[in-house]
Amino acid sequence: MTGHAMGRTQAAATLAAALLVALPASAQVDLGTEEQRAAGKVVYDKYCGQCHGDTGDGNGYATPRVRPKPRDFTTGKYKFRTTPNGMLPTDDDLRRIIEIGAPYTSMPGWPNLTSAEIQNVIYYIKSFSPDFENPDRYAEPIEIPRPLESTEESIARGRVLYEEQACGACHGEVGRGDGASAPTLVNDKGDPIRAADLTQRWTYRGGPTKEDIYRTFSTGLNGTPMPSYADSLEVEDRQHLVNYVYSLGDGDDPNYGTLITAVYSDEPIDLQDGESLDALFESAPMTRFPLVGQITEPGRNFFPPVTSIEAQAVYNRDEIAFRVRWHDLRADTSGRNNPSLEVPMWDEDNGIGGDESDDGGDSDDFFGDFGGEEAPAEDDFFGDSGDDFFGDGGDDFFGTADAGAGGAEFSDAVALQFPASLAPAESPELKPYFLYGDAQNPVDLWFVNLTYGVADTFRGRGSDAIEPTEADIVEAVTSYDQGAWTVTYKRRRSSRAGVSFAEEQYTPVAFSVWDGFNRERGNKRALSSWFYVYTEPSVEQAVAGPVLRAALIVLAIELLVVFLVRRRARQQAAGEGTSGASLTATEAPAV
Amino acid sequence: MWGLNLPVVLALAAIGGVLAWRRANTLVWLLYTLGALWAFFRFGFAVPIPQSVATIYLGITGLALVCYASSSRERLAETVQPIKRLILEPRYRLALAGLLVALPALAAYNVYADLTVPLEAPGFGREVHPPPPTEMTVHDETIDMATAENPYLHYKHDDPELYAKHLENGRRVYYENCFWCHGDGMGGDGMFAHGLNPVPSNFNDVGTLPILQSSFVQWRIAKGAPGLPASGTPWDSAMPAWEKFLTNEEMWDVNLFIYDFNGYEPRALGQH
Repeated sequence: MTGHAMGRTQAAATLAAALLVALPASAQVDLGTEEQRAAGKVVYDKYCGQCHGDTGDGNGYATPRVRPKPRDFTTGKYKFRTTPNGMLPTDDDLRRIIEIGAPYTSMPGWPNLTSAEIQNVIYYIKSFSPDFENPDRYAEPIEIPRPLESTEESIARGRVLYEEQACGACHGEVGRGDGASAPTLVNDKGDPIRAADLTQRWTYRGGPTKEDIYRTFSTGLNGTPMPSYADSLEVEDRQHLVNYVYSLGDGDDPNYGTLITAVYSDEPIDLQDGESLDALFESAPMTRFPLVGQITEPGRNFFPPVTSIEAQAVYNRDEIAFRVRWHDLRADTSGRNNPSLEVPMWDEDNGIGGDESDDGGDSDDFFGDFGGEEAPAEDDFFGDSGDDFFGDGGDDFFGTADAGAGGAEFSDAVALQFPASLAPAESPELKPYFLYGDAQNPVDLWFVNLTYGVADTFRGRGSDAIEPTEADIVEAVTSYDQGAWTVTYKRRRSSRAGVSFAEEQYTPVAFSVWDGFNRERGNKRALSSWFYVYTEPSVEQAVAGPVLRAALIVLAIELLVVFLVRRRARQQAAGEGTSGASLTATEAPAV
Repeated sequence: MWGLNLPVVLALAAIGGVLAWRRANTLVWLLYTLGALWAFFRFGFAVPIPQSVATIYLGITGLALVCYASSSRERLAETVQPIKRLILEPRYRLALAGLLVALPALAAYNVYADLTVPLEAPGFGREVHPPPPTEMTVHDETIDMATAENPYLHYKHDDPELYAKHLENGRRVYYENCFWCHGDGMGGDGMFAHGLNPVPSNFNDVGTLPILQSSFVQWRIAKGAPGLPASGTPWDSAMPAWEKFLTNEEMWDVNLFIYDFNGYEPRALGQH
């Protein structure tokens, strides 16, 4: 089959070469030599085929378990190009993605490949689509002007354009990827697709620079709902829009941290008084932690949409409060969720757009017969292929979602996890298993199902042993504002059954986030490794004192040495009846 | 050459040469020895040696130098001579005053820097390749860790076609399960790697697969983090116990595949 395809492309290449003389300069059909494509195939088969499919159709081993799905090279549609909307990418465009990858997707960069290897792979990839033989599909790259300075006027103008062009319909009013139509977005293959969170520039698939953003505006992302604005906006307006989008960003880098520093306050912590609560947290540093899919225990989550969470903490004499914040394209506040909800094996590969009717009403039946039905369920799922699956399930699902606000079956949720007890002094490295603890070392979960907005406490002794506990009362308040969930917890610092937060103590903490829209529940969640919260001393450590003391001690020693040496010299001088000056003369050094 | 940063080593040697030529005083030599050693440890190696090791070496050297300087009355006198002159001679008064101010300032700065380092989460060491058990049972099959080899490895020579089938199955297993952490190219840099601590194993590394027996790799695959001894910090590792998801054959196949992909052979029995 491959041989046949090669023959065809080769014939086309010859034809294209023959036509080349008559073509305009912009059309540059370069399909490489047969040897180059054969060399490219070797590299492709080793490094690319497992996701993009051995035949280039985007259907590799990994495909069911990654979102966004790997590119289908047979379509000739490429998202990241310097060429106008609908046109083929240049070789340099393809090279760029191969070299640096697309952040926060399953496409990595390939720094291990040589320039020649990459060129050969490009020739081979192009052979998957007949479009590359068609000179009409080629166009000159657009010109990317130097970015305008981000002046206030430019950003303000960009903001007007953002509203005029209704960018917020998908990307959300302040850019958190939470626009009204965000949950309905699909690409032209019917696969669900997410609008970029413009505030997290490091996750931009096409790159984080102003030039990258300008390129995306001007070329659109082929095959996705992201259009090109080349026809509707002048060059300068696009530049202003770039500056506005850039201004929405929360830095170039996520600056992931490893520690929450809980700051002390004399003020009472009142969860019901939003203003004083915000003022309290104003003084507490915010740390961002990376979240990844839970893929260790059954109920695996291969493509969590939430990739980070921010956290901060304050404490007073009796209480400690944590505040966490993350972005979610929609508040799902009508479904169910808890840390121990069972996730059937087939659902691991099932993201948004899933066939809801299958486990909506009769989910209990399904769980009950789980053992017996596992095999047929899996067969159905894969057997019917993507088309049917997304055609029916997807439409139904999105219809439901539009009809009622937050129509998902599972609600959004979040949990803080702490060890049930601190490590013994003789082995401070000891922690409970970071996945819901283990039999010997349990964890406590401060779980908030955002349908109810109250904190429930669970004790985890492993993924299959999570039970509600009421030893401590944890309070919580929640809010969803323009794509951002904020949850604030409060508990007494001393605990009867769990960990107490003493001053100057490092306490392990881990996070879990569930996106109901992505059908996350139970062990299908985004989670973090263990990090720490440090309760900063309530009395600010004075720096001036120790610094001054160190300086004075050293000065005193110096003066003492000088004094002793001089006295000795004077005594010697007196004894020998000579002066200090002649002493130096007689003992003049060799240097 | 030998992992040395040659320009630095040559520069230090050159300074020593100048001192010898100028017949430097013993004190200058002592200071030079300590300073040069510090610079050698800090900048002389392509991969810097750990601060703690350098501190130990410098401490020992410092002691030796004090012994040397005080080994005879004449040498001691010669060593302290420049210090005496600095303190006693009127023409060095300005330099002495400068030193009296500079040393306390340096001490103060040190204390200040110590007190204001940004807080970091405590870190603990862990054993990367902890000792495996003597035998393990996976799906009712018990293997002897010391002698077990990949049952499909011999097909490489005996039946290349069958070998290729096992490899392809291993490839499927890897890209259905492993690459999120260990990476598409097996560099330990998958899309979830940045969120994990300890970071996933890098199979490209010559210090990983080639030094391990395939039975060790099989142990890590089958039993994952929960099967680690405490020295391997099982509570932090995200490595799943793949026996929960995969058959014995699938695990041996992926074991075979990661060696083949990187062009490595498992360490043979009895090979050290």
